Amino acid sequence: MFSPLLQLARSLQDTSFRFDLSQSTWGVPIIGAIHVLAIAWFGGSVLVSDPRLRRFRWIGLAILLLTGFLLFWSQPLRLYYSLFFRLKMLLLVLIGASALLPARHARLSMGLSLALWTAVILASRGIAYR
Amino acid sequence: MSLENSWIFPVVESIHVMGLAAFVGATVLEDLRTLEVVHWNGASLKPWAHSGLAALLLTGFVMFLSDAARYLHNPAFQVKLALLVAALAAHFTVRRPGRRSGAIVSLILWTCVTLAARAIIDFDV
Repeated sequence: MFSPLLQLARSLQDTSFRFDLSQSTWGVPIIGAIHVLAIAWFGGSVLVSDPRLRRFRWIGLAILLLTGFLLFWSQPLRLYYSLFFRLKMLLLVLIGASALLPARHARLSMGLSLALWTAVILASRGIAYR
Repeated sequence: MSLENSWIFPVVESIHVMGLAAFVGATVLEDLRTLEVVHWNGASLKPWAHSGLAALLLTGFVMFLSDAARYLHNPAFQVKLALLVAALAAHFTVRRPGRRSGAIVSLILWTCVTLAARAIIDFDV
């Protein structure tokens, strides 16, 4: 079966950048630390609904996604086959989809978002174990 | 008490991460407001910060107790603990509404605590 995700994981696995990243002493620790800082940045910014924080929030999310992608690059195949990683990706897709809910469902969308982000954090920690 | 081989430890870790998002997120945002980097209208984020901090300290203590000796031997944990003591002391002393120097100290210290905390996994033996 053709799987574009497996294809992506395989091609990233074969890059020299993946090799350098996974062999370097400080690469993954530093990227992982920035990833956690971005969680705090993004998490804090969603506590305030003022539209003036919108750009601040998007920057936090961009750093989160970028460092997340780099962490994936450091071990693409192991993550591709991790059950919790797949669960996390599914949850992120659902979060993206829930952002498309019409504005009149604000309360539903807020509750959904809280539940989904909680599940994302749980799945993320699960990745470290299997 | 060993929590290592059950689902309990990852769940406690996850609550720790959520506490971090609430506490460090709220604190960093308020510090940046003090420094006039960001602007918003609305209530103080103190309730978020305080409940986040309570969750962080509680779950942190539980994780520490699960394998105290292993944590004490971890260089990243030693650095984190020292930074944490300094950050907590600064948080309740020099960090005051409108005081820019306090906000800068708070930003630097909590950022360093978070960086050192993530490194605990990488220095685990």
